[in-house]
Parts: sequence; structure tokens; C-alpha cells
Amino acid sequence: MASSRRLRRMAASQPGFLTLKPSSDPTDLVGGRRKRVNKNKKKNWNKFSDITDVEEFLEDVRHQERTTGGLLSEKSDDGLFFVDLGQADKAEQKAEPDEGKKRKGKSTRPLRIDLILQGDSCIPPPKDVLAYQKPNAKKLRRIAQKAEQLAAKGVVPRAQKKLLNRRLADRTVKKAVTEANNNPNRDYYDMWAQESKSPADPWYVLQTGKEQVKRPEKLNQKPSALPAVEVIAPGGSYNPDFLSHQALLQEAHEVEVKKKKQEDKLEKQLAVNREDKATAETALREEVEGLIEDEEDEETSPNKEDEEASGAAITVTEKKTERQRKKEKAEKRKEQQQLSVKRQTVQQQQLFQLRSIKAAIKQQEQQTKKRWSKRKEKQEAQKAQPRRLGKLKFQAPDLEVQLRDELAGSLRQLKPEGSILKDRFKSLQKRNLIEPRERAKFRRKLKVKYVEKRAFKEIT
Amino acid sequence: MGGLQKKKFERGAATNYITRNSARKKLQLSLPDFRRLCILKGVYPHEPKHKKKVNKGSTAPRTFYLLKDIRFLLHEPVVHKFREYKIFVRKLKRAYGKTEWSAVERLKENKPTYKLDHIVKERYPTFIDALRDIDDALCMCFLFSTFARTGKCHVQTIQLCRRLTVEWMNYVITSRALRKVFLSIKGIYYQAEVMGQLITWLVPYQFSHDHPTDVDYRVMATFTELYTTLLGFINFKLYHSLNLVYPPKVHVTMETLSSFLHGCKLFNKLSITGVKLSALSGSLARVVSTEEEEEAKLDQFPAEGEDVEKMEAREKEQKQLEAQKKLFDGLKIFLNREVPRESLAFIIRCFGGQVSWDKSVSIGSTFDVTDETITHQIVDRPNFDKQYINRYYVQPQWVYDCVNAKILLPVEDYFLGVTLPPHLSPFVEEKEGDYVPPEKLRIMALQRGEKPAQEQEEEDDEEEEEDEEEEEGGDDEVDEEEKAEEKNLKKMEEQKSQGKSLQVKVTPGKVRAENPARLEQEEKAEEKRLAIMMMKKKEKYLYDKIMFGKKRKVREANKLAAKRKAHDDAEKTKKKKARK
Repeated sequence: MASSRRLRRMAASQPGFLTLKPSSDPTDLVGGRRKRVNKNKKKNWNKFSDITDVEEFLEDVRHQERTTGGLLSEKSDDGLFFVDLGQADKAEQKAEPDEGKKRKGKSTRPLRIDLILQGDSCIPPPKDVLAYQKPNAKKLRRIAQKAEQLAAKGVVPRAQKKLLNRRLADRTVKKAVTEANNNPNRDYYDMWAQESKSPADPWYVLQTGKEQVKRPEKLNQKPSALPAVEVIAPGGSYNPDFLSHQALLQEAHEVEVKKKKQEDKLEKQLAVNREDKATAETALREEVEGLIEDEEDEETSPNKEDEEASGAAITVTEKKTERQRKKEKAEKRKEQQQLSVKRQTVQQQQLFQLRSIKAAIKQQEQQTKKRWSKRKEKQEAQKAQPRRLGKLKFQAPDLEVQLRDELAGSLRQLKPEGSILKDRFKSLQKRNLIEPRERAKFRRKLKVKYVEKRAFKEIT
Repeated sequence: MGGLQKKKFERGAATNYITRNSARKKLQLSLPDFRRLCILKGVYPHEPKHKKKVNKGSTAPRTFYLLKDIRFLLHEPVVHKFREYKIFVRKLKRAYGKTEWSAVERLKENKPTYKLDHIVKERYPTFIDALRDIDDALCMCFLFSTFARTGKCHVQTIQLCRRLTVEWMNYVITSRALRKVFLSIKGIYYQAEVMGQLITWLVPYQFSHDHPTDVDYRVMATFTELYTTLLGFINFKLYHSLNLVYPPKVHVTMETLSSFLHGCKLFNKLSITGVKLSALSGSLARVVSTEEEEEAKLDQFPAEGEDVEKMEAREKEQKQLEAQKKLFDGLKIFLNREVPRESLAFIIRCFGGQVSWDKSVSIGSTFDVTDETITHQIVDRPNFDKQYINRYYVQPQWVYDCVNAKILLPVEDYFLGVTLPPHLSPFVEEKEGDYVPPEKLRIMALQRGEKPAQEQEEEDDEEEEEDEEEEEGGDDEVDEEEKAEEKNLKKMEEQKSQGKSLQVKVTPGKVRAENPARLEQEEKAEEKRLAIMMMKKKEKYLYDKIMFGKKRKVREANKLAAKRKAHDDAEKTKKKKARK
């Protein structure tokens, strides 16, 4: 302890020593009471000798060496201070950029921030022990030898193989992404040049970076038997033949009549029934309701109900006697016997009816066949029908028709009817390629609030 | 007792279907993206047989998909692209919101794109499969190519559609594949025969768009996206099958080049080849320049009986087809500015005619109005001032009707200011006994090479009526003669029954002119009668039924014909009155 104190004092007494931490004041230690301990044991020396100040000092020395590159006390004054000549410095700074413009070598000078951050520590970096000693060197050597052997055989390790594979895939992906799908100058090539049905079609892999997955069989069937383009009836010609035009008009007329009928039906259903309308009489009755009592009704009706209820309750089953039971049993047996006899005779009789039975069976078979064929026919017809694919049913578009006076005499004066875009869209719906939909209605989420603006006020 | 309890909706139909919403969730896509994916991959909704079972007891209307299809969609590489695109949009929106223009630019440069080549190959494993499904693609591309650039869809899509349709038309011209045209009030229907497949498509008239509001443009654009890819690959293959260069190049002579250059000044934006192509007036460059093509002849095999007839019919058809392909060969046709140029140029070139138009109408005109060798000029206005003597001035319908009739129709009916004969639909094929409009009958007669005897129609009505009567009578001639014979026989029998001795006389015999054709006919009729007599009861019943149906059809047709005649008469009297 004494030695440590001496050391400290020695250091403090040195002329140029500056401590970085001001806390290590010698007066602190005087204030604390010394603890008495046996000093005849080495253990206690270690335990109770106070070496903090020595350590602090050493730490401080190391700190100085680390940060400033040597003890501050040993440094010259020029290294620590500079003379602040405020005005002159600014002028210099201004002059510098001008020079910089002219000089090309400016870029070679390090930045000030780099200079500040540059460590000027004198302590060499600690040695990396692992650089000289390898843990598990023997094992690693053995692994390397094994790898060499495998490489000589031509076996590529799994990790490397994986990497190689990935690299290939990446390159293909980059190739595939070239230009937009709808680029008007895009080029095409012979796609159907080589047919390969295997899933690992190299062309497919090149395009997508994936193997092809088998397409379900059912996807290759068309959802409807209808043709893609349905040609308009001959009456739809721009200069139609009289009768075919009439036929088309008739068709359109029928559609309209059907529509009208449905509308009328709906109207009829929605109309108010005349009996439901209030007349003066019914209105009066309603007003007087409950004021005049129909005494007779009230009295008679509950009585009837009572009687019925009591009658139902009274019927009680009496127990059968033994004799009755025996009799019933005998009757039952007899009945069954009679039935069996009858059945037998009928069977015997049927032997003579063979021909008619055969005819009946034949007829039945014919009927089933007929029904079967009818059902098949219906199913075939269904294939050309639009299916119900969602909330809405398919609505057939209006027939394109021009009346006699709308028809143009020549191609120049022709006014096209209907829209082909709509026609195509409806055709897609009709062929079950897309489900019929309605345009989403605009619905305001937030309430509208009316505010009087300052610029304009309504006169009330 | 007895195993586990069976639960409802865990097997059978309920497990084969999936609702749209759950499918969407399974694929982790938004509804528009899901819809797009389904359209591209050809996965369509399916109506289950027992909806209640599939819908787990509920009867609410839902859209169902087959579960297997959705599972198949899970493997689609394009799905990732959709997700990428979604993220791209999000980033772009954010960049816009923060007004970071450099970020916007960078993002736009790296816009994620995808290709549908693999989907096309997957959906159409062979070329013929693709060709069979091309109707829709053509319709859609022709439709989109006529759209105005108003932001209803991408301008690029419109341009691509235009390019593809022009390529297609040029292919049809070079292969002379067009068969039928029909001008309807909706648009123009074309039918072509490409590699044995009949392909029909619909082209809208120019400038006829009002954009309907109840059409989902996004869906249509998605279909078009797929179809442009499909049509492009098909075009490539078709061009190569004809030994043509793809992308197409046009042979241009020196005369036309100047007009092209003149045009290109006007349309500076478009590339020169594209403009040349869309003019439809130049022939395409070939890989190996062989002008003469070997004409494939039908192989002849020695055949017997019915086969011979069939062969003959086929040969005849082939000949007719060849003739039709050269319909306008050697004609030089000039289009006036008021007629639909593209359609007419396309058709005339399809059948080997030369076509041109005014320089200021469109580029690519090959000769001038003043050219003395022009044979026809297509005009669609009531009168025309300066007329050349050595050419016909006809209305555009003449071209279309000629194509459908497969012969050059007389031009008189189509002259300037003349009321046109009706334009009949070539897509109607009449069966035996159906009503055939008189105009069609006339064309059929012309096809057979007969001259119609209706030229003095308007001058002498009465004569014409007599003619008609005669024509009608022609069919019944045979019957009348038979009736007369029967009458004679009956007389003789009566006399026999009355016990009178027949007056026996020897009269000098007359030499009956034997008509071999007539005899043959009679023989045939007799054979038929005998065959009918030999029929079994069951077959006879069926036969009678068929005949009855035929007769009924004929009766209906007659009714229609009578109606038509009444209408015509009424018109005629009206005209007469007006004249008076």
C-alpha cells in the first residue's frame, strides 16, 4: 500500500504530469478510515491492499497513449496548442478554394475529417493468435484431403452444386425479362418448332425458370359448344332481302313482346288490390274497432273448443280380454294363409300370360330408352346454353335490328347498329368464359356535410 | 358400433369445387389479378351439378372453380410477376406522393414485365390447336386496332393489334384464302380457309365507336393481351409456311415508291414498312423468290360406284375454288374516296385484282385515276361528273356480291344511282326444300352459266307474269302427261265394263320421238317407286315421315315465295302509280 502511494506521489510530483481525470484527488483518501487486517497472510495482502489509484494511473497512461499517441507531458507545446489568429485564418480559407480550382492535385490531399479520425496510437494492434494456430487443424486437413480426392473423382460437393444450379436459373430469369408484352415492335419466333411433351422442356425452363406442371385434362375442354363468332341472321345485312329482314324483325318483336309480358306481370303483382283499399265503411269499422262488442261470437266460439278438448281427453282404451286376443291372432293367420294361396295361384296363372308380360316389359324398356334419349338430347342442348356462374344470370343482348326506314340505301350512308365491343363481351359471357357481372355501384362512404361558405351565403 | 361418423361435405362434390373467394385467398391475389390469371391460363368458372351440396348446404349464388384447376394455377410463374407488379405500383405511388421524380423515373425504368409465350404453348401444344382457336383472337385484335387513342387501353396495345391484323390480312391476300364476306349492320364478317380450317372474324366499320359503359375494359384488355401473343406466333408460322419473310417486307416498284415517300412525309411517326404493309397494295417478299408455285393436283385413283361420284364432286369443287381464287385476275380497280378503302383493297387483292386509290386518301396507291387501263371504278355517290368511257362505274356492293357468288356478276345492276339488289348472307346454306330468295336463285342460275331472262322486266309486266307461270308449269309437266294417260285408260276400262266391244281400228302409227333423257328419268322414277314398295313396314313408316317433313318444308317455302311475290307486285304497282 505504501508502495502504491509512493508511486502515485512520484508521478504527481513529476513536473509535466497532467491527469485526465480530475477525480483522483489525494485528499479523498485521507477522509476514509483505514481497516485493520492481518498482514501475515499473502491472501490478505491481495485482498485488502488498495491498488485502485495505481490502476487508475496506469489506465490513464494507457488512455493517453491510445488517444494522443504518447504521454501528453512528453509532447512539445507546438503539438498541443496553436495560435489563434482569427482574421488571417478566414482569409486563408477563402484563398484556398481559388487555388483549388486551379490546382489539380487537390483531390490527393486527405480530407480534414479523415485526419481527425485517423488514429495516431503508438500501441501496435494485438496479435491474432488464430492467425498462427488453427483449432482442429488435423480434422480440417482430413476434410480437405477427402474433398481433393472427391474432386479428382469428379464429384462436386452438394453445396457447390446447389450454387451452380442457382446461378444458371438466375441467368435465365434475366434473359426472360426483356420487353413489355404489348410492345408493338416485339418479335415472334417459331414456337411450335419442336414438340416435347416432357415436363422438363428446355424451352419452357428457359422461358420461366421452372418445370412445366401437367395441365388438367378438363381444362382443355371448351366450356360451351357455341362457336366463337356467331354470324348475324341474313336479315342483318346492310341491304337485306325482304323476307329475311321481316323474319329478323319478327324475332326482335317476339323478344320485345316477351319482355313486355314479364313487365306487365310484375306490375300486376305489385299493384294494390282493390279489396285492400280503404273505403269509408272499412275506415269506420276500424275506428270503432273494440268499442262495440259482439257478444254472441265471443260466447259461442270458446264453448266449441272446450267440447272438442274434453272429447279428446275422454277416449280411454279398454284392455282386451284373452279371448279377444286369441281370436285376433287366428284371424291374422287365416288372412296370411289366404294371401299366400292367392299369390301362388296368380303365379301359376302368370305362366299363361307370358306373352303379355313380355310385351309389357318390352314396352317399359322402350319407354326408358326413349326417356334416356330425351334426357341426352336435353343435356346436349344444355351444352350450348349459358350457365349460371354467379350472382347474376346471363342477359342476352338486344338484337341488332334496323327498321325499314332506318336501312341505308348505300354503303356510304350506312349507320352501324350496336357495338362490336359489347357483342364480343356478351359472347364471352355466353360461352361461359367469364361470369356475368354488373358494374360496381358508387357508394359514398362518408356522409356529405353542407357548410355555408363565407364567400356565398344563401338568403333566407 | 360401426366406425367413425360420416361428416357432411367432406367428400364428393363438395371437395371438388372451391369458391372464387377462397381460391383467390389460396393464391394470395387480389380479385382483378385473379381474374386476369384465370383468363390467361384458360381457367373458367364451372357450374356444379348440385349447387347445394357444393355450397355446404347454402343456396346462395356463388362462382365456383374446380379445385384441381386452382391447384394447377398455384404453379404458374406469372403469379410472381403479378405480385412484383403490385409492389411496383405501390412504390410508384409513394414516389409520386413524395414528389421524388428521380425515384419515379428509376422505378419506371425497371417496370416489371412478363411474357405469355409459355402460356400460349401450354394452352395450344400444337399449331393446329392454336389455329382452331384464332377466331376470337382475330375479332379482338381487329376491334382493338380500331380504338381511338383515348386512354381506354394502352396505346401500345392498339399499335400491336394494328400490326398483327395488317400482317394477317397480308397473309390472307398472299395465300388467297378468303372465301366469304358479309356486310352486316354490325360490321363486316369475313371467312377464310387457312390450312383446312374455316376461320370467321368480324371487323367493325371505321369510326363507329361509342364506348359502351357496361363492358369491363380490363377483362377485354386481358383477353387481348393473350390473343396478341397467340396471333403473333401464328402469323410467324403462317408466313413461314408460305416461304415469306417475317416480319413482312413489301416489294415496291419505283412508281409506287414515290407515293410511299409522299405518304411517309405525312405520317412521319410510323415506320415505313408498317405503312407500306397497311396499304395492302404491295406483294410480300419471299425468302426464296420463286414466283411460280406448284399447284397441287388431286391424286387420281381408279375408283368405283359412289366413290367416282364423290371424286367428281370434289374435283368440281376444287376447280370452282381455283376459279374463285382468280376472280379479279386482270382487273384494274380504282377506289373512289367515299368507299371503305381497307376492306375493298383487302378483298380485291385477295382475288388477284389490282387496286389503287387517290394519293390523298391514303398512301400506297399504285396508279392514278387517269390511267386508261382501269377496268372498274368503285363509286358510292348518286352521280359522277367526269366519266371515262372505257371503264365501269359500279357501287361497292358489286365487289362483295361477286366474291360471294364466286363469279363476276353483271355490272348493270350495280351502276351508279341504280337501286341495288339485296346483299344476301353467304353464311346461310339452304337445304333441299328450303325457301330460296329469288335473288339467290338468279345468282345460282348465273353460276350455272344460264342467262337470266328478266332484262325486259320493267317494260312488259304481263309478259313476265306469263313467263313465271310457264316456269311454274314446267315442273308440273310430267304430272300432267301422266294424268292424261290415266284418263285414257279409265275411258277404256269404262267401255269394257259396259260390255261394249271396243272399236278396233288400225291407224297408221306415229313415230314417237324418244327422248333418251326423259326415258332415263322415267326409269329412275320407276325404280324408286319399286324400292318404296319393297320397303319393310317400319322403314316405310320412317320414309313417309321424312317425306312428310320435306313436303311441309316445301309448302312453307311456297308460302314464303307467294308472300314475296305479293310484296313485289305491290311494289311494282306503287312504282307504276308513281310513274303515272
